[in-house]
Amino acid sequence: MLSRLVLVSGHSLKNSGSFGACLVQAPRSFHQSSQSLAPVPPLPEKGGKVRHGIFPEEIFTMLYPKTGVTGPYMLGTGLLLYLLSKEIYVINHETIAGASIGAVIIYAVKKFGPSVAAFADKLNADKIAKAQEVKDQSMASYAQGIENEKKEQWRVEGRSMLFDAKRNNVAMLLEINYRERLHMVTNEVKKRLDYQVELQNLHRRMEQEHMVNWVEQSVVKSITPQQEKESIAKCISDLKVLAESTQARATV
Amino acid sequence: MMTSFFDQFASPYLLGIPLILVAMLLPWLLFPAPTSRWINNRLITVQTWLTGRFTNQLMTPLNFSGHKWALLFASLMVFLITINLLGLLPYTFTPTTQLSLNMGFAVPLWLATVIIGMKNQPTIALGHLLPEGTPIPLIPALIIIETISLFIRPLALGVRLTANLTAGHLLIQLIATAVFVLLPMMPAVAILTASVLFLLTLLEVAVAMIQAYVFILLLSLYLQENI
Repeated sequence: MLSRLVLVSGHSLKNSGSFGACLVQAPRSFHQSSQSLAPVPPLPEKGGKVRHGIFPEEIFTMLYPKTGVTGPYMLGTGLLLYLLSKEIYVINHETIAGASIGAVIIYAVKKFGPSVAAFADKLNADKIAKAQEVKDQSMASYAQGIENEKKEQWRVEGRSMLFDAKRNNVAMLLEINYRERLHMVTNEVKKRLDYQVELQNLHRRMEQEHMVNWVEQSVVKSITPQQEKESIAKCISDLKVLAESTQARATV
Repeated sequence: MMTSFFDQFASPYLLGIPLILVAMLLPWLLFPAPTSRWINNRLITVQTWLTGRFTNQLMTPLNFSGHKWALLFASLMVFLITINLLGLLPYTFTPTTQLSLNMGFAVPLWLATVIIGMKNQPTIALGHLLPEGTPIPLIPALIIIETISLFIRPLALGVRLTANLTAGHLLIQLIATAVFVLLPMMPAVAILTASVLFLLTLLEVAVAMIQAYVFILLLSLYLQENI
């Protein structure tokens, strides 16, 4: 009885793993059997309306057509007075005790009622908010996924430009390489040709030097000692004349 | 036949049918079972939260093998609190004012804890009979004293609950009678006494809840020692 209350409220206990084995109720859930009355009608969110805390509103609406607004109150007062006057209900010390506990109950309900109701509503709202958050998060992640996909599609459009640029790059590199090799080849050929030119120059120079040497040698050989003496004597006489002229110029 | 103040504690019979069974079934009627819905109404939400919170708090100091007592403690707690609080209404009979009922709860549960202790860890269970750090000459006397205190536990549990509730109810009746008698004679004094009655009722509400809680708490403590 009461243990069933605790058992079923064990569904919502945080550490319910330890008494999972004690569950006695056969789970007939998720509308699998034909006895289910799906879709299950919603429970009323708030309790029935009451007037003055205990009297259901239905009594007042039921009596209104026949007795108007004051009908139920007259009924209540009449009943009370009947019970008291006929001493069906005797006033004794229990009445006073009942009045006292009634005052306590009314005070407690008036003071703590709204806050307890708000607390219960908050518990339920928190539960719903948690589930809602999961739903919102997954929706946000999906939206993000859609945006990422769109971005990727935009990137794909720019792909051809990327390839063109790359192709240009490669062509330029090839061109540069070709030109370098051409340059190198030209240089090599020029070097070879320069060598040949230098060789020819060298030949000519050597021939020239050889000829000059030969001419010198033959001239020197042709100079007889007689000619040599004559030339030396002429040189001395020239020098004398020159010395005399410079001396005469110096004294003047 | 003179009515006395103790008539409220007599187990009621109607045409020979003991009404105490109805009195003990009534708490069950007041707590709706949680539905298989995800979101329940306010009453069930608050009730579920309270039960869960209370059981969580009670089971925290116990190790895992003590958790199989959770169902027993939680349902007993709800039962006792409801019976105690309902007894404060006028013209009601409180089953927990009967010593037989309270001893019927206290003795088997206490005995269960002792037997569990003796079965699983006899050395430790017997070791509880000697507190740490006692001087050697005092050991024999202390063991006797501790044994007596061990065996007095169920008695204390039962009598505590009975006595508190009985005393509270008697006081309420007495002061209410005083108010009732004084009302035609000295209304001012009657009103003063009525305010005393109001405060006493507040106290009795507190006592009703606390005594039920203490009963369960002590049982969980005894379980903690022996588990």
